[in-house]
Amino acid sequence: MTTRIVDVRGKKVELLESGSGEPVLYLHDMWDLHTAQGGMFPFHEQLAAKFKLMAPAHPGCGESDSIKSIADMDDLAFHYLDVLDALNLSSAAIVGVGLGGWLGVEIAVRNPERVSRLALVGAAGLQMPGAQVADIFMYSQHRDGGVMRDLRNLLFGDADGALANSIVPDGRTNIPDEVRRYKSLTLAGRVGWEPPYLHNRKLLGRLHRVACPALLIWGEEDRFVPLANGRAYAQNLPKATLKTLPGCGHSAILEAPEQCMDWIAPFLKTGALG
Amino acid sequence: MSDMDQVAVFSWHFMPWPYLDENFDRDHESGWITVPNSLFDRKKAVGLYQEYLDELAAADDLGFDGVVLNEHHQNIYGIMPAPNLLAAALTQTTKKCKLVVLGNLLPLNFRPLRVAEEYAMLDCMSNGRVVAGFAPGGGHESYSYSYSMPLARERFWEGVDLIVQAWTKPGPTSFEGKHYSMRYVNPWPQPLQTPHPPIWIPGSNSVETMYEVARRDFCYFLSTRGKLSGAKRSARRFGEVVGEIGKDFHPRQMGLLFSVYVAETDEAAREESGEAVFYFTRNCLKGHQRRKGRRLTMAPGGLSPSSWQLYLENSVVGAKMLGDAEDWKDIDEMGSIFVGSPDTVFDKLWEFVSEADIGNLLIQFHIGNLSKEKTLKSQQLFAEKVLPRLRAESKKLFTRKFGRKTIDAEAVVTA
Repeated sequence: MTTRIVDVRGKKVELLESGSGEPVLYLHDMWDLHTAQGGMFPFHEQLAAKFKLMAPAHPGCGESDSIKSIADMDDLAFHYLDVLDALNLSSAAIVGVGLGGWLGVEIAVRNPERVSRLALVGAAGLQMPGAQVADIFMYSQHRDGGVMRDLRNLLFGDADGALANSIVPDGRTNIPDEVRRYKSLTLAGRVGWEPPYLHNRKLLGRLHRVACPALLIWGEEDRFVPLANGRAYAQNLPKATLKTLPGCGHSAILEAPEQCMDWIAPFLKTGALG
Repeated sequence: MSDMDQVAVFSWHFMPWPYLDENFDRDHESGWITVPNSLFDRKKAVGLYQEYLDELAAADDLGFDGVVLNEHHQNIYGIMPAPNLLAAALTQTTKKCKLVVLGNLLPLNFRPLRVAEEYAMLDCMSNGRVVAGFAPGGGHESYSYSYSMPLARERFWEGVDLIVQAWTKPGPTSFEGKHYSMRYVNPWPQPLQTPHPPIWIPGSNSVETMYEVARRDFCYFLSTRGKLSGAKRSARRFGEVVGEIGKDFHPRQMGLLFSVYVAETDEAAREESGEAVFYFTRNCLKGHQRRKGRRLTMAPGGLSPSSWQLYLENSVVGAKMLGDAEDWKDIDEMGSIFVGSPDTVFDKLWEFVSEADIGNLLIQFHIGNLSKEKTLKSQQLFAEKVLPRLRAESKKLFTRKFGRKTIDAEAVVTA
């Protein structure tokens, strides 16, 4: 694994790279690499064992410069078209998780020719009736002097399990990771806080523009971005299939990395929707 | 115009909901945003605003420099989502005192031009007595109104500049900002005070805010309650910022909030106010300055990452806050609620004036569910026994320490 700084139109973008082979552009979520911790999680290691993982940090996250002109998802999608240019990716296979999944779709509806595969895990971006995206900003605040269970409950199938407690512990972890998480919420707040909340009301009507095949993976217990939004993606993207994980929450790549890879790796290689 | 060489003392009302029962703390995680409004009893609400407005009008009669209102939403801490409405009522029932609205929350729901218009109306209605506060809001407000805290910070100063332009540049002008674009900036009426009403901005120690305030000659109100040591640090930092941009610091550029209950003796003061003080800390501060429950004071993106890091390095997670006070000893240690005889209360406030150079004392007399009778009695005793001493002592101190001068922030009534 290496990290380097890429210049994107005068702004620094931190790029994490690992592995070799076909490049895969990884668009991170809010508790993920760059945002929950500096290095990779097992899922990313498994991805890098088969592909060349390229994971830029969103503006203001990790060591990437914050960019004042980014005030909504439209701005972020256009920033990533510049990132694709800077990385010489004329067409990219994208794995996008949560916030990064929404970003991947926004890139693909704008420039379908720049995206060859779209693997989305618990992607934000839509909000179907009765399937409200949860208030991650308010619920990221602690209770009773440091208890973070409400946030764990939004992010993990088992809010009290060891995994949830290791990623979102009670109290204060270490300051560098706390600052990472603050930067992550700040970027998410810039593009997804104002109504409409972490989604784009126009996106559903634009999904027909996506040209590539799309694999959707969703935790059935995702209490942050409910499964109904995954079903809506599957129904409205032209070529899509939805895989669900019983007992799993929003953080499917952390909760079930092997199962996710078993679906994602062949999809990225062939584009076939099994 | 008040005398700039002595402290200014204000009566601040939060207008809380005073009818929560004793099980509120047990049954509810917060007094804010998600606190069920089924607890709002319409019958009991009759006359409540009138009672609160009467308490502020009494402060004018007693010779306070001003009264203070502020804006909060969807909570039991202050049922005052539209403070300008109450300021309008007070223009009719007060004669001399400043009407401080601290402040209108610019990022909320309407364009800043509307705030410029409303303050101008109030200034005309009050014969030039408005102090115009602007605030970006904190966690409570951004969660309550679903607005983005990181974006609100940027919008805020642009909104302030739009308002000042509306008050100072002969219209019609236009304004082209990143967030606000107004083809015609030409408000009728204009404020009576020229160049414009004094402007106060609340801040919570962010140096970025201090620079913006100092650069514009506004008054900085420290919105975090706290101990003398914290106030001293803030005032020193703000004084340095003022100095760095080539200006002279004066205590009247700095304000702080306290809660006070005065009675004849320390014992009587505690006896009379105890229920109300702990109603305030347990209920009204729950969800705000309290460890127990859900803390909603902060929102992600309200600070820059480096300021956030500084905050983390200088704070202890799970530390006891004002709302966690269990007894009078705790209250005394927190150093923000002063209950006692006139001498006791004077001594406490005087520390902030003499050691921290705080020149605007903003005092909450109505605390929690305190009765109107007790509120008026405490406020009156303060006006008779504490206020004159604060003025006389501060006059000597300020003249010696800062010289006799006026500051730009104080506008002159010309109309």
